[in-house]
Amino acid sequence: MCSACGFPAAPGHWTEAGAATPHERIRERFRRVQVLQKVLQGTGVTAHDGGVVPGIQVISLNGAQTIVPNLEGLWAEVETMRGRPFDPLE
Amino acid sequence: MAARLTRLSEPTEGRLRLTILGGFLGSGKTTWLRHQLHEQAFGRVHVIVNEAAEAPVDDALLSAADQMTLLAGACVCCDARDDLQACFLSICDQRSRTADPARRLENVVLETSGLADPAAILDLIQGDPILARQIVVAEVIVVIDALNARDQMQNEALSRAQIEAADRLVLTKTDLAPPDTTAELRATLKQRAPGAEQSAAVFGSGSDLPVMGDARPFALPEIADATPITASQLDLGDTPDWTAFTVWLSALLYARGDQIVRVKGVVRTPAGRLLLQTVRRSVQSPEILPEQDDTRSDNEVAVIGRGFTQALLVASLSRFSA
Repeated sequence: MCSACGFPAAPGHWTEAGAATPHERIRERFRRVQVLQKVLQGTGVTAHDGGVVPGIQVISLNGAQTIVPNLEGLWAEVETMRGRPFDPLE
Repeated sequence: MAARLTRLSEPTEGRLRLTILGGFLGSGKTTWLRHQLHEQAFGRVHVIVNEAAEAPVDDALLSAADQMTLLAGACVCCDARDDLQACFLSICDQRSRTADPARRLENVVLETSGLADPAAILDLIQGDPILARQIVVAEVIVVIDALNARDQMQNEALSRAQIEAADRLVLTKTDLAPPDTTAELRATLKQRAPGAEQSAAVFGSGSDLPVMGDARPFALPEIADATPITASQLDLGDTPDWTAFTVWLSALLYARGDQIVRVKGVVRTPAGRLLLQTVRRSVQSPEILPEQDDTRSDNEVAVIGRGFTQALLVASLSRFSA
């Protein structure tokens, strides 16, 4: 278990299957948060991942902050913070 | 229907036995069949795989079959009926040219697309004067996803039609579904398809069914006219951005999981060729596929569902990957 976030070690989320080496994994995390920051623009929610703490930090406009373990958790948190889900087809 | 059915062990007067394998999108048809082929349950077999999507995936998984025909891009019970008929005729023709009975083809297994009504395929064979004399329908096996069947039966007329056409129902994913729910599902299936034998399989190998007991079937409301399910194709290019794609897909499944019935495709990543499969909101842990000579359908992902168009998906994805 990570002492920073408290998430027990779990098999990787399906979205993380594209990287096989630690090097690729960290690159994938930076790319992931880059994509997230772009698509979340205008939603009032931002994402942050410095690569040190496991998980993705989600921050709302009023300063509320949460760490989620993976993208599935992220979209649920975005819905909680905005009051409605983020729909990529809208 | 029972009168014209011939189980695998019964004599067929020299005719070819056809097993129709049906079931809703993502119910586990290919997984089940892959295991049966591995165990050589069908003897000398020709497998016909039909997929509604343009980019076929299932054929890569079924390499254990002696012979295989792939009919992709349309459903054989409606749009591609002629293709299926031609395919059956050519198989019968080839078989009748094999003089040695010990080498003659014994079985044909047709794995339908998840959008097919098995009854329409029975009609096709009965309606063709040659096929009716050459092919005997051994069994209609319908694979039922124990996790999602309740939802599917309540919302999709097609799912009910498939169950009603079955001689044998194979319940999959029973290890993940609560036993009470499976017992209710069994009672409902018993009501819809009283003659069909029920069994369970987990990743293709047989497993125990929970006892039905006095479980009551769940209510099935009348289905209002729903918009039809369509298959869209996404081309991810030669070097797909897996991260952007999964950010997009995870958001899409979260927001529209009830409309995206199925996503399927092979995506090339630094970790290897990943087989990606989803059913509604649940995503199977991607399987790394071995390198193959035939990689035509790599980096093409089929999205099957309703409430969106291909253009909308492409535009939405491009906002993520740009």
